[in-house]
Amino acid sequence: MSLSLFVLLVLLAALVRIYWILPSANTTRGKRKRSTEPRSLAVFLGSGGHTTEALALVSALDFSRYIPRTYIISQGDNLSAQKAASLELTKGVLSTKSKDEYTILKIPRARRVHQSLLTTPPTAVVALVACIYHIVIAPFFRKGRPVFADVLLVNGPGTCFTLCLGVYVNKFFGLPASQIIYVESFARVKSLSLSGRLLRPLADRFVVQWPQLLQYKGRGEYHGWLV
Amino acid sequence: MLAFVTVGSTRFDSLVQAVLSQPVLSTLRLKGYTRLVVQCGNSSFELASSISGEKTLVVEREGVDIELWNFKPTLQKEYESADLVISHAGSGTILDVLRLGKPLIVVVNPTLLDNHQQELAAALADLGHLQHSTIPDLAQTIQSFEPSSLTPFPPFDGSRFAKLLDEHMGFS
Repeated sequence: MSLSLFVLLVLLAALVRIYWILPSANTTRGKRKRSTEPRSLAVFLGSGGHTTEALALVSALDFSRYIPRTYIISQGDNLSAQKAASLELTKGVLSTKSKDEYTILKIPRARRVHQSLLTTPPTAVVALVACIYHIVIAPFFRKGRPVFADVLLVNGPGTCFTLCLGVYVNKFFGLPASQIIYVESFARVKSLSLSGRLLRPLADRFVVQWPQLLQYKGRGEYHGWLV
Repeated sequence: MLAFVTVGSTRFDSLVQAVLSQPVLSTLRLKGYTRLVVQCGNSSFELASSISGEKTLVVEREGVDIELWNFKPTLQKEYESADLVISHAGSGTILDVLRLGKPLIVVVNPTLLDNHQQELAAALADLGHLQHSTIPDLAQTIQSFEPSSLTPFPPFDGSRFAKLLDEHMGFS
């Protein structure tokens, strides 16, 4: 009896904690401290159109403000890695001293294209464990601030959800956690994507590129076309 | 003038078949398009067995010189040299072509009726940035299409996202 009561209390506390760390529904403005120091940035390149749009967003940034930059790609997505490297080259900020301003981080795929639904759960667990390792555990062994990245930029597909779960493990335990910025694809005019629907309550900023998508109750902001 | 047709990374059988049909080719010729390049992907059509990978097939029909192939790593050069692009509704293709300021006809794929990508083409057609067409209407659409009547597509404006993130992260 007392054990079940204890488990119940722990579960209740966990639920309260999760509710506490969720971004509030009506604040869209972040409350970051004013900063002149560079912030670290991680961006997930989800291949194909996701990669194209994510890199267009990153290309808009002042690279001297976002150091280091981590490009997260799925295992085997060499095209996205090439495109990231080529963006870094064209931005032309890679002087000899700043060679380690960016890294490419490979994570296992949560689900391969055409993978059967039966074998998806194990591979998704492997992907989640890898994300938790990189986002929660690895930062402890790094010099400087123990945070994976100050800001995590994602735009789908669904697998970027596992990255955000990793960030939420940090939030849950009160560890330094990335700000999650979700930008829905330019191709989404009338309906949110699956990753959009999953991440809308979790992201610190949820940005859409067509005003029609603001009809969904709750969170979301529109600033015109961003890509 | 040169017209370029692209089906994207998969296949669009009826689009390839339509652009090789007599009505569409005659209309293209009539409008001054003497050259036609078709990226066929894995589409199935009468000449599909004659091409593979980047191997090109050249034929002449209805007074139009036609070049057919499956895939290339990037289509940027094709977009740049084209006077008209006819494409599937892929968002990447649409953005690439419109950013180059090329006249674009997007053809609805009837086998993908629930595909959200059709929504993007329709929304951009409503704004006058491109022309929307169906397969049966393609010849008629090319006939009446006036590239000069399109609304120019705005150039990439990175400042909006930069401002959003900079403010969020405390830079301004």
